[in-house]
Amino acid sequence: MRKILFALVASIFSFSAMAGGHADWFKEAGAPYKGTVLQGVAENTPPGQFAGEVLAKEFEKLTGIKVQLENTSWDQMYDKAIKDMEANSGIYDFVYIEQDIVYDYLNRDFLVNITEGLANNPDLQAPGVSLDDFTTFIDYFKDGSGDVFGVPMEAFIKVYLYRKDLFERADAKAQFRAQYGYGLTPATSFDQYRDNAEFFTHFCAAEGMECWGTTVQGHTGHPASTYEFLESIAPSFGLYNWGVNMDSYQSCVENGGQLNGGRAKAALNFWTQLLPFAPPEALQSTWSEVGSSFAAGRAAQGWVYGENAAWIATDAEKSAVVGNVGVMLPPTAPGVMTQAASGNGYIGYYDGGAYGIPHSSKNKEATMLWLQYVALNEHQADWAIAGGRITHKGTYADPKVMAVDEQADGYFTLMRDTGFLYAGAPPFPFHGAGRGAIDPFIYSALAGEMTPEEALDGACQALDTVMSDLGYQN
Amino acid sequence: MLSKNKTGWLLLSPTILILILVGLVPFFYVLYVGFFKWNPLAVDPSMQFEGFALNYRRLIFDEVFLESIWRSIKFSVVTLTLELTLGFLLALSLLSSFPLKSFFRSVHTLPLVIAPIVVGSIFKLFTVQGLGPLPHLLKDYFGYTLNYGLNADQAFWMIVIMDVWHWTPFVTLTLLAGLSALPQDPYESAKIDGANNFQIFVHITIPMMVPVLIVVIFIRLMDSLKIVDEVWMLTGGGPGYATRFTGIHIWKEVFEKRYYGLGSAMSILYLYITIVICWVLYSVMVSRGKNED
Repeated sequence: MRKILFALVASIFSFSAMAGGHADWFKEAGAPYKGTVLQGVAENTPPGQFAGEVLAKEFEKLTGIKVQLENTSWDQMYDKAIKDMEANSGIYDFVYIEQDIVYDYLNRDFLVNITEGLANNPDLQAPGVSLDDFTTFIDYFKDGSGDVFGVPMEAFIKVYLYRKDLFERADAKAQFRAQYGYGLTPATSFDQYRDNAEFFTHFCAAEGMECWGTTVQGHTGHPASTYEFLESIAPSFGLYNWGVNMDSYQSCVENGGQLNGGRAKAALNFWTQLLPFAPPEALQSTWSEVGSSFAAGRAAQGWVYGENAAWIATDAEKSAVVGNVGVMLPPTAPGVMTQAASGNGYIGYYDGGAYGIPHSSKNKEATMLWLQYVALNEHQADWAIAGGRITHKGTYADPKVMAVDEQADGYFTLMRDTGFLYAGAPPFPFHGAGRGAIDPFIYSALAGEMTPEEALDGACQALDTVMSDLGYQN
Repeated sequence: MLSKNKTGWLLLSPTILILILVGLVPFFYVLYVGFFKWNPLAVDPSMQFEGFALNYRRLIFDEVFLESIWRSIKFSVVTLTLELTLGFLLALSLLSSFPLKSFFRSVHTLPLVIAPIVVGSIFKLFTVQGLGPLPHLLKDYFGYTLNYGLNADQAFWMIVIMDVWHWTPFVTLTLLAGLSALPQDPYESAKIDGANNFQIFVHITIPMMVPVLIVVIFIRLMDSLKIVDEVWMLTGGGPGYATRFTGIHIWKEVFEKRYYGLGSAMSILYLYITIVICWVLYSVMVSRGKNED
């Protein structure tokens, strides 16, 4: 909350600063739409909260256009947005488009072409907003001809967080060396990761601390676990695009895919074997709970979404580990880093999303003003601090962001310098159906009802059935 | 007379219109869609007719769907048995006087006014590993590990407990109303004839309560067969398929995987099964009631 308040105060200053710049333009451009109420739906993330609680209020003050942003759970967000767009009911004027769902939305022609819309309405083109200011993340929201269908509002990478205070304890270092025969350091390999996890689970128990060796985003009834496997664990083992052969749309090894191949099975084995070293809530944890567990000091290390990294490292009101958070790239299998650097692979998803306008919106022009407002450079630094996200190139160099970067052990610098090693989700228009086919097998593997091998054999068959059923296989 | 009928139809027409719009139209639309192969995520996103009742034929061999039905029936039987037993006992106890009776009745009724999704949240907060007090208490005092994210049986029974907590007050109140309205003459005659309390309960109370019991059983049976919200919040249908009841399964097929045609067929088939179960149950109860008369 303090972070939001700080951001609110900061944004009032930037709002005043903007008064001499773009404020007049927005005031004038918004005048015809004064009194309009824009409805939006998005996932309840720190960046979404900032947009709803800070930017929306500023925008209303400036233009008289009220923005009601409904920040809700991930499932509800999709449920509401998709039903609205399918029924063409026009409830929402803008919707959150997660990077992995954009191909589905474009395929189904849900979204307004923002480039075209602005080109046809030059009066709506805000000064100070340039597509060139965005990082390359905006490319994920373009169609084949380069037109933009979504304005990025959050982008982050999933990083390896570790507890510096635990890793630097002299007694822990000594015990670890005695037990494993090498020095205790943050993990750069999977074996080391596992050893660290095992060690800290026992170390914490012996010290009477409520902490465990690693986070695991392992909810056994929520897609968050499938996401952790497919977008973080599997790629770091060298399994890309869910193991789907992108030419034939087959995922089983016997048909040319890799979802039940050696790398996939090694990855799932590694991941499920971490469960004894994870906090007991791991099997009921989605991305939010993983962030909360780490912030509560209940894990020594883990894969954590970047949207949570900044507040975990800096917000003492919500986090018990402020000042003790280390940030690194996650461990990878040999060769994966080279493949990622050359563009032939990736070490995890470059996550995030954008605001887009459904065709069904009844207030497209006013919404375009709002989307350009959120894209202004002036807001980006405070938004980055509040939400750990960066969508504009210039944000990295902002003094406020650099100060937080220092507190957050260089999270933003890591994102800037190594973001190219990450990649967006594979361009599957059948994303939801495919993931839904895989989910139960990942849940069963995590619950121990299936071995990782059985789970992946079943998952690839289920996924192949879906891809065949939907007509993607050649 | 004609004019009187016209007024009647005029007054009824809004209700009939609403029933047609929100009841019959969606039903026939779902029935219609169920005969098509339709997934908007497909290469061809349009509705395609690929043979008569293709989706229904496919469902006959769909193990996951059939298992979800079996799981839902099992869940309904278990919850119904527990809720009826507890509800009857509570209703009987509320017939007699005891200190703080009104207070107990009010508190006991509270779960009824809570929305199912909130019930799921409350149970999650109480029982989730790491945060909830219940796993801590069970571990500390009984050495029992509660982790329904891992243990399929625990997940199933946790949902049973949640449903019993939520809906037993409904059963209690309905049965209490029925018990309060029973005529006293048969009881007095039975006492004069020397019947004990158990005999009176079995041979007088239960038979006279059959109509109320039928209503309660039908309402709770239909509700429990379509359970979604609480399960969604507590386990999401997991671990694995352990709590993937038919309602959750249909939701996932339709709204996550976008199998609109198949999902519609599932809904219709499940509705049919529900009607059959209710009809069988009704026939059995009515025929038993007649025999006892």
